[in-house]
Amino acid sequence: MTVPGAWRQVRDLFEQALEQDPAGVDRWLDHAAGGDGVLRADVASLLAHHSRAGRFLAEPLGERVPDPFDEGPGLEPGHQIGPYVIVREIGRGGMGRVYLASDQRLGRPVALKALLPRLTEHPSSRERLRREAQAAAALTHPGICTVYALEEVGDELFIVTEYVEGRTLREDIASGNRPSSHALRQTARELASALAVAHAKGIVHRDLKPENVMRTNEGHVKILDFGLARIETGSPVGPIGPLITQPGLLLGTPAYMAPEQLNGQPVDARVDIFALGVLLYEYACGKHPFEAGTPLAVMARILESDVTSIASRDPHIPDDVAAVVDRCLQKAPVDRFPSASAIGPMLQDAPTVPPPAVARWWQMHQLAVIALYVGASTAAWHIKEVATSPLSRWLFVTVGIGAAVAGIVRGHLVFTQWMNPLRLVDERRRTATVTLVADLLIGACLFLDGLLLVPTTPLYAVLTIALAIGVALARVLMEPATTVAAFGRR
Amino acid sequence: MNSSDGQPPAIEQVVPLVYDELRRLAAAYIRRERPGQTLQPTALVHEAYLRLAGAGTPWTDRRHFLGIAARSMRQILVERARARGAQKRWGGMDRVSLSETLVTATNEDAMLPALDEALTRLEALDPEQARIVELRYFVGLGVEEAADTLDISPATLKRRWALARAWLFRELSGGGSQ
Repeated sequence: MTVPGAWRQVRDLFEQALEQDPAGVDRWLDHAAGGDGVLRADVASLLAHHSRAGRFLAEPLGERVPDPFDEGPGLEPGHQIGPYVIVREIGRGGMGRVYLASDQRLGRPVALKALLPRLTEHPSSRERLRREAQAAAALTHPGICTVYALEEVGDELFIVTEYVEGRTLREDIASGNRPSSHALRQTARELASALAVAHAKGIVHRDLKPENVMRTNEGHVKILDFGLARIETGSPVGPIGPLITQPGLLLGTPAYMAPEQLNGQPVDARVDIFALGVLLYEYACGKHPFEAGTPLAVMARILESDVTSIASRDPHIPDDVAAVVDRCLQKAPVDRFPSASAIGPMLQDAPTVPPPAVARWWQMHQLAVIALYVGASTAAWHIKEVATSPLSRWLFVTVGIGAAVAGIVRGHLVFTQWMNPLRLVDERRRTATVTLVADLLIGACLFLDGLLLVPTTPLYAVLTIALAIGVALARVLMEPATTVAAFGRR
Repeated sequence: MNSSDGQPPAIEQVVPLVYDELRRLAAAYIRRERPGQTLQPTALVHEAYLRLAGAGTPWTDRRHFLGIAARSMRQILVERARARGAQKRWGGMDRVSLSETLVTATNEDAMLPALDEALTRLEALDPEQARIVELRYFVGLGVEEAADTLDISPATLKRRWALARAWLFRELSGGGSQ
């Protein structure tokens, strides 16, 4: 119906018509088509179809294909494989299904990974699997899930590992609860220490991500699948071998891959350091550093764009953790930590617990400020009684509320210092905004109160204004100074 | 990404490479088809990108790659629908059920060959329209990313996408000859 020469006109009119008021679009079109009946009819019919198109092409085309992980039915509970009895399926991954099983000989629970036939049918892949599992089994560290055995039953291969009870770091992140500085440092130190031990044995994880890190019920972290990432995909991008030319497996998210991994360049232990940076970033602030709508866009950001520094995302992140994360996330491997063992010493909790004498002075400061609040409230009440302006009543209400809120918060801090000093840094950071706003508000209200008094009782006016300035200065100048003196940082 | 030898690749070298890789990957899925699961073209394109990067293919421009991949995705998905006899099922429908099917986006597979032909006609009028449909519908890019790939503003992309949908809807529901 449309001829190429007229297309531009049709397109332009259609696009303009979309912006017209629907009620008047017919009349607008009469005018805009300038008497060209064919053009007008064409655009009108397109507009009509536009409004009737419903879900047509609205969702991207999805096709039905096999789930690459779903290869045949799984093993039933009670099924016996060698000395292991299946208890239940606990997960699926790129390698195949994972079961909780019971080791009858040693009477302990184990995790049993049934490797996909696709990974084991080729003799050379089988040989490589054996080598990978052997290397992984040589790793023993509290932060690494131990590989117990590689079992061959008939044609099938099973990797038997320690069974770790707990939840994945992914679940931790998704829960929305952000970790305390103490927990953050501890997690980072444990992961770094596990990486350092593996790297020292020449084993690189290559697929470190929150799904591969478990937090045990005792609160420690354990890395899963160490040294097994290459079994899953061949090396994610590397020389094309028998495993990778076997199609049918979508690689997982590239969101934890280092730039050199994405570029197909040779990789070493420093890809794990990069992944650790991404993981800690996400764990600390709940946001992925290279967040984007599609995997391709994520890759482009990893390769090209600078990371929004974690410190600017969330000012509550401690400086030392932010520095570690920033360095892990460097694009060039040489700019990252040369070894994971360098990370632990940078993340010590010690300075957060001040010696008792210093802490006492900090507590005194808090109590003095609470007393100051009482004074400020009393002053505001008196002024409300003597001043004629209705404003004084509102000032009193504001000072009262501010003093109550900030007083409770400061009381809470003093108690935290007593009962649970490790939490204090986090509590202080969390409440810093509240006390700042409340103190400045109280100061401002008292200042206005003072101005109200100037015509009648200049002496009280001066005292009130002095008190106002005192409250503000105590928060803006003195408190940072005493805090740094007590804790070594703000 | 950088080229291994610093030279940008010629387009002619790149197109078949991308097409073959996507086809090979998609074929692997098709062979092992079982009902109930979904292939995500975005993921497929992503995997192709990774694999080609791994093979040392020199990419200079992500937009360029996306454009080629989108075209290839369209070809692959349409060929596949044809192979499954989708054309017949579509041809057998009366006009009312055709419109109904289109509006509710059911039986999209059957529609694909007809959509492809209509898209080819639209492409003759305005190639950009076809690119938009490929990126949005066949690959599944969002408005922002599709706009970025075509180097137009998201607002413009939305308007042109609306036009493409209206035009194709008219063609497929048999309204083009009214």
